[in-house]
Amino acid sequence: MLDIKNLSASVGGAEILHDLSLSVGTGEVHAIMGPNGSGKSTLAQVIAGRDDYDVTAGSVTLDGEDLLELDPEERAREGVFLGFQYPVEIPGVNNAYLLKAAVNAQRAHRGLDEIDVFEFLKLAKEKMALLGMDQKFLNRGVNEGFSGGEKKRNEILQMAMLEPRLAILDETDSGLDIDALKAVAHGVNALRSPERSIVLVTHYQRLLDYIQPDHVHVLSGGKIVRSGDKTLATELEERGYDWLKEAANG
Amino acid sequence: MATESEELESLVNRRYEHGFVTDIEMDTLPPGLNEDVIRAISARKNEPEFMLEWRLRAFRMWLEMREPNWAHVHYPPIDFDAISYFAAPKSDADRPKSLDEVDPKLLETYDKLGIPLHERARLAGVAVDAVFDSVSVATTFKEKLSEAGVIFCSFSEAVENHPELVKKYLGSVVPQRDNYYAALNSAVFSDGSFVYVPKGVRCPMELSTYFRINSANTGQFERTLIIADEGSYVSYLEGCTAPMRDENQLHAAVVELVAMKDAEIKYSTVQNWYPGDEEGKGGIYNFVTKRGDCRGANSKISWTQVETGSAITWKYPSCILRGDNSVGEFYSVAVANNFQQADTGTKMIHIGKNTSSTIVSKGISAGKAQNAYRGLVKVMPQAAGARNHTQCDSLLIGKECGAHTFPYMEIKNQGAKIEHEATTSKISADQLFYCRQRGLSEEDAVNMIVNGFCKEVFNELPMEFAVEAQALLNVSLEGAVG
Amino acid sequence: MSKPDKLQSAAEQLGPDGLSDLRSRAAKKFGATGFPTTRMEDWKYTDLSIASDISVAALQDFRTDLPPSYEIPDIDAHWLVISNGSPQVGSFSAIDGVEVSLLSEADVDLQFNLPLSDLNLALLSDGLRLTVDSGVNIDKPIGILFFDDADTESLVSQGRVIIDVSKSASVQVIEFHATRGDARKYANVFVDLNIGDNARVDYARLQARDPSAVQTARLSVAAGRDATLRHFALDTGGKLVRNDLAIDIAQTGANVDFNGLYLADAMQHVDNHTRVDHRVGPAHSNQEYRGIVKGRAVWNGKAVVHEGADGTDAQQANHNLLVAERAEINAKPELEIYAEDVKCSHGTTVGQLDENAVFYLRTRCLDEEQARRLMTHAFAMGVAHRCPIDACTAWVDAHVDAALNALITEDAE
Repeated sequence: MLDIKNLSASVGGAEILHDLSLSVGTGEVHAIMGPNGSGKSTLAQVIAGRDDYDVTAGSVTLDGEDLLELDPEERAREGVFLGFQYPVEIPGVNNAYLLKAAVNAQRAHRGLDEIDVFEFLKLAKEKMALLGMDQKFLNRGVNEGFSGGEKKRNEILQMAMLEPRLAILDETDSGLDIDALKAVAHGVNALRSPERSIVLVTHYQRLLDYIQPDHVHVLSGGKIVRSGDKTLATELEERGYDWLKEAANG
Repeated sequence: MATESEELESLVNRRYEHGFVTDIEMDTLPPGLNEDVIRAISARKNEPEFMLEWRLRAFRMWLEMREPNWAHVHYPPIDFDAISYFAAPKSDADRPKSLDEVDPKLLETYDKLGIPLHERARLAGVAVDAVFDSVSVATTFKEKLSEAGVIFCSFSEAVENHPELVKKYLGSVVPQRDNYYAALNSAVFSDGSFVYVPKGVRCPMELSTYFRINSANTGQFERTLIIADEGSYVSYLEGCTAPMRDENQLHAAVVELVAMKDAEIKYSTVQNWYPGDEEGKGGIYNFVTKRGDCRGANSKISWTQVETGSAITWKYPSCILRGDNSVGEFYSVAVANNFQQADTGTKMIHIGKNTSSTIVSKGISAGKAQNAYRGLVKVMPQAAGARNHTQCDSLLIGKECGAHTFPYMEIKNQGAKIEHEATTSKISADQLFYCRQRGLSEEDAVNMIVNGFCKEVFNELPMEFAVEAQALLNVSLEGAVG
Repeated sequence: MSKPDKLQSAAEQLGPDGLSDLRSRAAKKFGATGFPTTRMEDWKYTDLSIASDISVAALQDFRTDLPPSYEIPDIDAHWLVISNGSPQVGSFSAIDGVEVSLLSEADVDLQFNLPLSDLNLALLSDGLRLTVDSGVNIDKPIGILFFDDADTESLVSQGRVIIDVSKSASVQVIEFHATRGDARKYANVFVDLNIGDNARVDYARLQARDPSAVQTARLSVAAGRDATLRHFALDTGGKLVRNDLAIDIAQTGANVDFNGLYLADAMQHVDNHTRVDHRVGPAHSNQEYRGIVKGRAVWNGKAVVHEGADGTDAQQANHNLLVAERAEINAKPELEIYAEDVKCSHGTTVGQLDENAVFYLRTRCLDEEQARRLMTHAFAMGVAHRCPIDACTAWVDAHVDAALNALITEDAE
């Protein structure tokens, strides 16, 4: 599904990702862990196409298609979803409007007709029920005045509506209390499918108690320094990251 | 993030859709202004003596006045002698009795504007008093309105058929010497709309007029007078587009609203005069005086405007809150792109007791445009219990535009409660990226964010108008972001 | 002023010295322009005819030999006194790290740009220039006392001070205005404050002139790279007071915070104009002025963000409490923005004490007058506490207390 080969990226002249390679198979769930400043969020943003970052080397492909050539919205329509660490507030624009516009942009890209209002509402309500979300959510401004937990849930709702091929969830667990975390994890688990790959970017092992990854990678200093199965996460929880940094440097 | 704003800038430039010229022979006075011209205007309109005297008084006042220069706008001096002060469609002598009799070219023009007058009037149940240049040529739904006792006609007809009303109210809100452009308008106004809603009547439909400037070098001097008698209600829609022309055209309209005891007037405007091209060439000078007088207790006047057009806008729809418990509202979206300059806002003059006013102003600047909010909240010593809330927000798109706020608060009563808030911000790169990550194009994302920014104002517009206004906003900002 | 020749001859009377030529040019210029009038946007709400009247009267019998008279305020500082417009050099004691000189002996370039500045220069007997050495941290505040007390019928006094704070220095400055005696007084004061790169200035302007005095004062600040200014202004005195504060940010990284409190009693007119020019970014400005008004007050705050000043953060707030039937406030918070990446906001309110809060306090056993007094005091102190100079705190607290009591007590009558 997702193939990253020898990727280097920098922002304002400072290189953040160095020669990073990662391969995520269809239907797999990968967790990318690492200390603060290791480049986790940069990786997520580069895949989604944030133009503040300069890709200086390497390639990123989705099912063989070059993602780096595409604008952010084209990547999104191709099925790349980024769950933001800090979902953005857009005053005055209601959630339902954004969701419908996004769904229709994607449908148009696939050559499908626009979804009508009734169908849309039916679908949205279904997905919201799945996530245990109040329907009032739809009429509120996008993330406007939302609590941290509401914002993250809203991200999962958008993911559920857009049904991406590849979902990258950037620190979806940060700042959540345990109930919100469970709700979000439940939502993500419900969206696991053999056709969908999920990349969880996280600082803490806690999330992985609720979403079992197939593979765990450790990112440090802009590259993947170790990969393994879910037991690696447990090891990290016990030993911290320092031993890996040392291992990487030594 | 430099690239982000450059991109934003490059997103905004679609051409003006309503730019075309209707080729109809005009009955036009030669350029220039003197008492003879005013006599000629009055004579052509078969006006009674009192109107001529009124115009001449205004003209003499105008001669002694000076063009205002305090607004945050810049333009070359206007040569008032190069303007022709009267233009009417040739068919004036034999006015059409129904739409079928209207010059087909005119109807075609409306079609191009997306205003299928006949259709629209019939389907939407809206009475349309369409002003083509200066003289009304079609008024519909008169019967239905007259059943309710509502008078809705061209100003000329009002002068002819209801001189007592005109005499009583004309200039009672905006006196002839109010300001330079109001004085000019008073001297030379060609036509406009007149509405009278009798006591206790709720006007059965929204009244709508489409204005259109069509003749090169012809000043357009509309005069609108709306009177809502005790306990009545009326909603009036004004919308306009203009064809593409290189010459700057002067538009100096006057709108007067009078709301008696317990009456309410809702006045909505979508203004889309030709703004000039991307180099700032051409475009309308829109110097308008709009004022409402809440004359009776518990009256209410609400202004809603969406201003996307004109090269220069100078416009301050205001409310004089004379009656006790009267309410004034001003909701405005002003968009300035390319080389447009807007200096617009409102005045709320609190005179009666327990009067309240609300001001919501959303200014959007893009390209090299300058957009200023200028407002006055004045509480007179006798206006006990006055309340005002003002929210004044500016959105910047691009590095070369300007957004300015000049709010005046003159408070002379201890019991007044006045709140004024203003913010200035830009569309953030984060907001854009977020929307694009959800699959929206950059242009759609900008439109969505801008519409969100303006939502409080759009909510005040009648439904169809709101849709039109949103579309207009998107067109106006095309190419602003890129 | 009706008599330019009187002004010219007064200007000549003050010399000859190093300022003679300047006075003569300024007198000529002011003779041509005269006082600002209410037809000018900046002076729309403040009529200076009374200042003009006092000046004309004072020039009828212009005296350069007024004896010094002053009273040092009870604030621990290095005091420099300007009495009736004349620097009292004899009273100065040396301050480590600060060079003090007379303008007539200093080589400075004084600008002609505003009518009141011309008037000031035309009639300036002398001014002061302070230079704070780079990197020093002055041990206690420098106080500049403008004190007017003359036995003449009408007195017009000019004050002018230039303060240059060198790179990385840190200093506290108090500008103090007071009067005594029965003369009709008009004081016209200009202070230029140049804050060097990375330097820091705490500034308090405290104005406690007698209720018949007229004052126009202007503080112009030029902020260097990464410069910091914390400013507080208090006005309780004067019949007609107009203060201008102009801050120019032409270097990145400046951080300016300016606040003020004005109390205008029934017969007083207090006008504060502030203007901050952001010419480059990033830089931060923040201001809050509060007023308790029984008479008439004007507040005009303007932030101009020039083209290219991206990264500007400019915040303005102005809150007014009207406490008498005839109170009047004219507020005008202006933003002029020509840059894109900016965060600007302003908020202005005019109102009364929150009746719910008054009620709440009454349910907590306070009587209504106590409740109102407490809340009014809290409103005033909300900004008075921002006075950045600790040495002034006690004086400010006591003075605000007394002024508020006077304002409220009269109210009860």
